[in-house]
Formats: sequence, C-alpha cells, structure tokens
Amino acid sequence: MGSLFGDWPSFDPHNFSHFRPSDPSNTSKMTPTTYHPTHSRTLPPPDQVITTEAKNILIRNFYRRTEEKLRPKRSASELLNPDHGSKQPRASASVTDLSD
Amino acid sequence: MSIWNYVVTAHKPTNVTHSCVGNFTSPQELNLIIAKCTRIEIHLLTPQGLQPMLDVPIYGRIATLELFRPHGETQDFLFIATERYKFCVLQWDSETSELVTRAMGDVSDRIGRPTDNGQIGIIDPDCRLIGLHLYDGLFKVIPFDNKGLLKEAFNIRLEELQVLDIKFLYGCPKPTIVVLYQDNKDARHVKTYEVALKDKDFVEGPWSQNNVDNGANLLIPVPPPLCGVLIIGEETIVYCSANAFKAIPIRPSITKAYGRVDADGSRYLLGDHAGLLHLLVITHEKEKVTGLKIELLGETSIASTISYLDNAFVFIGSSYGDSQLIKLNIQPDSKGSYVEVLERYVNLGPIVDFCVVDLERQGQGQVVTCSGAYKDGSLRIVRNGIGINEQASVELQGIKGMWSLRSSTDDPYDTFLVVSFISETRILAMNLEDELEETEIEGFCSQVQTLFCHDAVYNQLVQVTSSSIRLVSSTTRELRNEWNAPSGYSINVATANATQVLLATGGGHLVYLEIGDGILTEVKHAQLEYEISCLDINPIGENPHYSQLAAVGMWTDISIRIFSLPDLNLITKEHLGGEIIPRSVLLCAFEGISYLLCALGDGHLLNFLLNMESGELTDRKKVSLGTQPITLRTFSSKSTTHVFAASDRPTVIYSSNKKLLYSNVNLKEVSHMCQFNTAAFPDSLAIAKEGELTIGTIDDIQKLHIRSIPLGEQARRICHQEQSRTFAICSQKYSQSSAEESDVHFIRLLDDQTFEIISTYALDTFECGCSILGCSFSDDNNVYYCVGTAYVLPEENEPTKGRILVFLVEDGKLQLIAEKETKGAVYSLNAFNGKLLAAINQKIQLYKWMLRDDGSRELQSECGHHGHILALYVQTHGDFIVVGDLMKSISLLIYKHEEGAIEERARDYSANWMTGVEILDDDTYLGAENNYNLFTVRKNSEGATDEERGRLEVVGEYHLGEFVNRFRHGSLVMRLPDSDVGQIPTVIFGSVNGVIGVIASLPHDQYVFLEKLQSNMRKVIKGVGGLSHEHWRSFYNEKKTVDARNFLDGDLIESFLDLSRGRMDEISKAMGVSVEELCKRVEELTRLH
Repeated sequence: MGSLFGDWPSFDPHNFSHFRPSDPSNTSKMTPTTYHPTHSRTLPPPDQVITTEAKNILIRNFYRRTEEKLRPKRSASELLNPDHGSKQPRASASVTDLSD
Repeated sequence: MSIWNYVVTAHKPTNVTHSCVGNFTSPQELNLIIAKCTRIEIHLLTPQGLQPMLDVPIYGRIATLELFRPHGETQDFLFIATERYKFCVLQWDSETSELVTRAMGDVSDRIGRPTDNGQIGIIDPDCRLIGLHLYDGLFKVIPFDNKGLLKEAFNIRLEELQVLDIKFLYGCPKPTIVVLYQDNKDARHVKTYEVALKDKDFVEGPWSQNNVDNGANLLIPVPPPLCGVLIIGEETIVYCSANAFKAIPIRPSITKAYGRVDADGSRYLLGDHAGLLHLLVITHEKEKVTGLKIELLGETSIASTISYLDNAFVFIGSSYGDSQLIKLNIQPDSKGSYVEVLERYVNLGPIVDFCVVDLERQGQGQVVTCSGAYKDGSLRIVRNGIGINEQASVELQGIKGMWSLRSSTDDPYDTFLVVSFISETRILAMNLEDELEETEIEGFCSQVQTLFCHDAVYNQLVQVTSSSIRLVSSTTRELRNEWNAPSGYSINVATANATQVLLATGGGHLVYLEIGDGILTEVKHAQLEYEISCLDINPIGENPHYSQLAAVGMWTDISIRIFSLPDLNLITKEHLGGEIIPRSVLLCAFEGISYLLCALGDGHLLNFLLNMESGELTDRKKVSLGTQPITLRTFSSKSTTHVFAASDRPTVIYSSNKKLLYSNVNLKEVSHMCQFNTAAFPDSLAIAKEGELTIGTIDDIQKLHIRSIPLGEQARRICHQEQSRTFAICSQKYSQSSAEESDVHFIRLLDDQTFEIISTYALDTFECGCSILGCSFSDDNNVYYCVGTAYVLPEENEPTKGRILVFLVEDGKLQLIAEKETKGAVYSLNAFNGKLLAAINQKIQLYKWMLRDDGSRELQSECGHHGHILALYVQTHGDFIVVGDLMKSISLLIYKHEEGAIEERARDYSANWMTGVEILDDDTYLGAENNYNLFTVRKNSEGATDEERGRLEVVGEYHLGEFVNRFRHGSLVMRLPDSDVGQIPTVIFGSVNGVIGVIASLPHDQYVFLEKLQSNMRKVIKGVGGLSHEHWRSFYNEKKTVDARNFLDGDLIESFLDLSRGRMDEISKAMGVSVEELCKRVEELTRLH
C-alpha cells in the first residue's frame, strides 16, 4: 500500500522548497492588500453582458408542441413546401427519443 | 435617535467556502484562490510557501468559484456566481495588476423556486458552456461561442426536482452532465444528459445508475483517460461509467469536500464531517478501471474545500475551524498519520454567540466568541489594539524623559536606561541577575534634568542638559568633551544621533554640532525669528548615522521647517495653521517611504510625505490621537520600525501595504517611551505611565489580536460574570463512538484569566442548553448563572419540555440552587426588574425569585404573554421587552407593574425570520434576519390612532450579506468620553462567516455627510466583476428588494484612505471638502473598530 502515498505530483519543484513552517499553533497572519479597483475595465465589453433569453421556457415549449401538433395535419402542405419539412422531422425525432 | 447607522467590519469573514488552484496571475505562476463568502483571496505558490497577493471584496455572497481556461488562452479565467444570481468572469491583467471583467450578467429568472440544496455552477471541461442549477426543475446554460465569448443564456427543463449534485463528464463528444438526485420515495439515482445546444434541450445521456447509496451527496467527475464519475455515499463509494461499475464499502461518514491530486484523476483527497482525510485511489490497467481503494491519511480541520497545491502540500479550507496548510508525508508519524499541519489560518466562524468583557479592567472591551463547530469548536478572545506584556515595573514618580544607551557602539543590546526627572537624572542598568538596578555614568551630570541622550560613534555617549552637551566614553564612563551653552542662554530642546547634535536655546538660536572621537565640534549656528518648540535629526537617508535634514517646529508662527545639514539652510517652511504649537517632530521611513510626523499640543498628529532630495512636504494628513500633547519615538519590533506616540491615548503608528495605520496600545496614559532591548528582555520597551516605570514586550504589530482556546466541542452560549471572574458556557460534544452518534450537552464554568474549565454540569440525555444569563434577583445579594434548556426528543417537531436551572458559583464550583420545569425550549433569558424573563416556545414568561419557608429559593411564575410563533430573541429596556420571532419579525411588549401583566404594545407586521435583535435606544430597535439583511424599526408613540401606535415603523434597511447570530452593546476600542468618536453608541455583531462588525449610531449631520461621501465613493471605487454596490446593499428577500436606507457601508467609506491622492482629490472636489478634512473624518471612523 505504501506506493499509494508516494509520488505526489509536482508542477514546479521549487514550490515550497524553502518553506519554513511557523509554529502551527500560531495562526498565520499574513494580510494581503485589499483591492479597490478604480479603473474602467471592471465593466465587461458591451456584448458580454449576459442575460437569459426572453422567451420563457414554457412558451418555448408551447411553440414547439404546437409545431409538432401541426406537423401531421400539415403533411399535405409539407409536400407543397419541402423547405420547411426538411427541418422539422429532426426536431421531432429528438423529442420522441426522450419520450421513449 | 439611533436610526442613522454606520456598519463596518472589524474582522473580515474567515470562513473558507471554496478554493481552486490554477495559473491565474500568469501562465507560469500557480495560484491558490480562496473564497471567504464575500471576499476572494489570491495567493501565489512560491518556494517560501503561500504568498498572499490580494484580498478582493465581492459585492455578493459567492455561490460558485471556478477556474477555467478558454480555448487559445494561456492563463485561467475565474468564474464567480453569487447567491443573488449575478455572475462574472474575471481575468488578471499582469501588466497593470488589475482584475479585468471579461463578462458578467444576471442569471435570475422571474419565476422559479430557489434550490434547497444550494446553487450549482459548473463549467464544461471543453469550455463549450457554463451550466447553472439555481431553481428546481431548471438547468441554465450559458454557451461559449467559438471565440470563447459568452452568448445569451437559456433554460432547459430538468425533470429531476431534488437535485443533490450535477457535474460535467469528461471526454464526451457532446457536453454531458451527470445528475445525482433523489426521487419522491427518497431513493437516490444518477442520470446523464447530453446538452443539445442547438435545440436548447437535453438528450438522454450515455448511461444511468439507479438506487445508489442513500446518503450519496457528491459526484466527482474523473478526467481522461479513465473518464466516468465517482459517486460518494455515506457507506459506499462507486465508480461509474458507460462500461464499468466498481464499488467499495467505507466506514460510515459524510464526505464534505474533495480535492483531485493527479491530473489523470487516479487519486483524490476526501475530507469527512469528522475532519478525517482519506485518499481514494482508482486502480486501473491502462484505461480500464479495475477497482477502488481508500486509505485513511490523518486528521485535519473539518474541511469545506480541499485543494492540492504542489509537491505534497495541500490547502484545507474550513467553515468550522481554522483553515490549514498541510503536507502529505510518505511515511506515517508515530500516531500513524500521514498528515502534517504546517500552518493554520484563523477562522472565527461560525460565531454562534459572544460576549463583550473587560478582562484586563482597562476600560476596553474584548470580545469572547463561541467559534467553530463539532470537534473544531473553540472560544476566541478578540482584542483590538496592541498589548504590552509587563515584565517588570517599579514605582517612579515624575519621569520627564527616558533614553536607552549601549555600553559600546557595536553591542547589539542596550545596557543603560537613563531616566530624567525635573531636577535629577538617574541611570538604571541590568545587573547579572537580570534585575534593573541603579548605577552611575560618571561623566554624566546627574544633578539636573536631561534633555536628550544618545549613543554616539567611537564608543561614546551624549548627554544634553540645559547648560551643556557632555560627550562620555561608554567604556570608561568618563567625560571626554563638553560643549557649554553661551552664558545667559539655556538649552530648551535638543536631539542627537550617532554623529550629530542639534539643539535650540532661548531666543531662537539653533546650534548644530558634530561628534568626533573625543570631540564635539560646533559646525553651524542659525538665529530664527521665533522660539523653537521641537526638533529632530533621525537619520532616514542612506547613512544610518548621519542625517542630511533637520526638522524644526516653531512657536509663534506655528510652522515646521526643514533645514539642510550641515549648513542649516532653510529649505522648506510649512505653516500648520491653527493656534496649537507642534510639540514633537519626527523624521521616519516606512516601507521605503519617508514621512515627517508632527504632533500638536492638543493630541492631533499631522503627517506629510517627505521628499528626501528637495525637503518638500506633501500630502498633508491629520488625525486625532488623543487630547494631550504627544511625544513621538521610533522603536523596532521584529526588525521593522514603528513609531510610538505617547499621550493620554498611546498609539503605535505603523505601515502596512504602504499606508500608515494607527493602532491603540492597551494602556491608559503613557508620558514617555523608549526602546530598551536587553539580552534578558529582548525587543522590550520602557514605558513611563502614571507614576510607574514598566518594562514590557509588545504584541505583534497588528490591529486585532485573537487568542484561541480549543474546546474539542462546540460552545453554543457564553456569559461572563464579573463577581466570580468566570465564564459559563453551554456546550455540545459530539461523540461518534460505535455506530450510534449522540450528543452530550454540558454547562461548563471557566476561569476568566486562564480559561481553564473549573466545573462542569452535565445536562440530561436529549437535554440541550439554549440560553445562559448571569444575573441577580430582588432581595438576594447573590449573583447567579441561569441556564435555559430544551429536551430535544427525536420524535417531537418542537420541544415541549425544558428547564430553567439556577446555579451559584461557590468555591469555583457550579452549585445547582433551583430548577424549574418549562413547557418548551427556553430560547432566551433576561434579567428583568429583579426577576427572570424567559422566552419559552411561543410564550414570554416572567418568574419571581421566591424565598420558601425553609430558606430555600424557587422560581415562581408571575405572568406571561402568548402570541409568537417561537420567541427566539429577547432584549429588555426598563419595562419594555423587544421580541425577535422565528418568522414574525420584531414585536414590542410592556410589563405593567400594577396589573402584573405583559401586554403587546406594537409590532412590525413584515414576515421577517429573525436571527437577532437589539435595542438601540428607547424607540429604535435593530433586527437581523435570515436573508442576511439588517433593519431598524421605530416605536411610533405619537401616532394618531391605536393602529398607528401599534405598528413598529421600519426606518432602516440594509443588506449586510452576513448571517448575524448575536448583537451586543459594547465597543472593541477604548472609548474616550471627550473625543467625538467616544460619544457614538455602538453595537457589535458576530456572524456565521466569522465576521465581527460594528454598528454605530451617528448624529444626523454626520450621517448626511458620510452618505454624500459614500455616493461619491461608489463612483470612484468600482465593484469587482462589474457588480453594483447599490444593488448589493439593497434589502433583499423573497418578497421584496428595496434600496438600502439609513444604513451606510463603512467598509466602502473607509476605503477612501486606500485611494491614490488623485482619486482623493476627485472626491474632495465633488464633496467641496478638503482632502485633509476628509482623511481626518474617515480616520476617526476607523477608530470605532
């Protein structure tokens, strides 16, 4: 079992090589500087202010359901409109997979 | 009126909630990044260990912290999501050392039930999307585009409602999540889903695993080449993937944290609820998993996060105890442990209760907290300011000055202590027995007062008296040379260093001399137009023995002047303004910056930046240290120079991160101080105070000092009793012997000096201590400890039985004097009109302390008041009772003596779930509630109708971002009644994150001024990650979000002092107030904590 404990990964062998432990009962009191940004780059680029799509998940689902329901009825018109048809079977395929 | 409140942090959060390791600050640098709820800390891994780089306040409570590397980047980015549904992506710009926001956003939904098990935020290992689980039944996706930029987020319906954990799987062609969830029969299962980004939907994943361990609560995704996931349960650990399933049983435990050791994911560190650290190993043949192994490594603090750093060093972040830096050894120690704890990082959290006491009876409060949980429970004594640890003291009246001298120039230690009185000078020295005894330096004049003394080159000593300068050999102690003041002139003030003497006589004569081997040479003389009040030639330039500048303070025109040496040419003249003369000047340098400090006769201190080349003085700042004249002296401690300002409020001035800080010294009044560094008492100070000369060592130079008393169990309530000089605590010990876990509860008595447990009272089985109080009763001179308890039976939803126990401390032992059974949990106890007021479940009950015929005592019920859900927190003031309810906010009751009844007077009708209440003044009450908000309510006695009078009006609201468990009146600092700050009433709070904060009730005009400063500060100091300060501080709960009002953020206001001069000027212009005035007013506020 001894081999389990050995060979701890090393990214940079220098890290901690000169480490001198302070008395562990003395808690370490290094205090880093507190950061108070005053520069303007705390605001992200304008296209990186992210929001959630406005269309509600339920409405999105309704639209999809409606399209699914409409699809068989429209099968005749689908023949007339092949552009449209090529997109829809794939969407319905993934849904049927889920309902299996 | 206490409705204008200023909230400031005295002790920052220390509860470590998250940590991660990566190349954040540069492609070559490895960083440890730690989240402490509302702050992150960036550390650098170095050969010397962990080096702290930056402490970053975040305007939010951090829910998720992850490092990730977008395609094409050489450095990691930091993803932070907050509990209030904001997120940001930060990048380190190493050229400017600034944090740059790459993206941010709001991921809240207008409807949705927030998850019960906490928010989950995860990043796809191939950086295709960020996944968030924030609301039950929804999984939010923020996709990355092919340039690594984030796109609009969308929700996907997640069928599983009780989600315990979600992780991304490695090595999947499509982003795939693995979900650990519980069904409505409480069975737990694991399922995988592919995220179809185009269709914005889930597709059934490659595998699932039903009926995993009933206590499974953690998933660990395994990186390539193995891939798959580890499911960590309470009794088993399972490895699962599309084509493998391996399980091992484990000793029953709850795994709280894990850290991956190897990049290939074959070893993991697991930390459990008892603080045991295990190593989990996935054994494999090439890419085929053959089994699991688990091995106990040793014990640490109970971990909330584990980060493997480098070369067998590991960071253990803890919420329940101190965080630790540990090393994993290859060989076990004598106790069989592979874990070596090398550093501890203090954590006060969770602060469950605390009390404010003045243990040293110096008029300064100390906070004693119940900190930590389970085995990591402790008491912490938190004290502001720098303490002097007395080693020796003698009674000596009328000390006018003190200097230490060495017996030879190259002696590292001081030998003599010169103490000057009005008409004599006495020399003390350490004898062979390390005792201070009087001695003589023959060459010194001891019949007169000494104005100044110093060691000089060539083994010489210099003494300046009103008539002459004497140069004495430090070896033979004989006079070698003397310079006499011209007849008719006496020396008023003098200073010297190893090679130079500067003195001033009456009539404004300034004389400069240099010290040679046995000779004093008068080099230059100057006649100034006014009398000289103080001077200094402390060498702070390149030559440690010679100063090229002299600082001189003047009477009459109230100015400071800088002269060049040796020619005594005036190079700078700075008028101080006002009518108070400078009493002490000092040239000093901290962290490579030169300053001129100037103390005035009224306790104010001015500081300037000093240009060593031109002698120019800039950046004038003024602070008030006390009310009496100040004497400034330098001293060094741990090879760093500091300044001691002796006055009625002694202060140490030091520098941290190139900013001057002022810390109180825990002494009442110090007239003189000098360093006295002897072999027997190294690094000591000699201090003259109130007719006494004291030799003592000084604490580490920092603002707050924390002492830890480990208990090995959790203290839940604490109370101090002055008369018996003891603390009493209610504590809870978790024993996990055998399979059955059980808690035992105790009342323990501790000595208030040694903190030793001197007496223990064990509570009954299932009985737990809920409240504790030190009090006395009418017609009884004894002082008692009263303890309220509850019987917490597993089958009951709420306790229906409890006890009130009355103890007397006799001969250091707890003696049970009386006990009274109650019909519920005694959540609170208060001394009230010589009686005992208890909050018992939904009722407030008043008890009289009655004498029985046989002379014994008992508690007898007098009256009560129903009408609460659970009365958890009670404070009283006169006949008024303020109750904080579990879910019905604050109500105000009144006790009517004549009728012997308690009636409700008014209540706040909001539905706040309270965590603490306090009375600020007769009419204003402060509350904290469980959405981390503070609010104040006011009694409306002048209301026109009963309805109005019966309503507590909400007058202040503020989002603190901390869960407050306790408020107490008191102060962490010595309060001087004659200072402005001394008039401000303060309340201290303690929080789950280990924050100790101060709420100060300000006068209205000061509040208005600071509110204006705060709004200007908001424009200058930007929120990290683009998060808004205004939004962060707005009162927020499930029902409403409203702007903060009548509370100010002291942390933001006080960061004014950290700004560059240019930014200060900007704010000064906007405010129409000088920078000096702003600094002074803000500096005063920092002295509240």
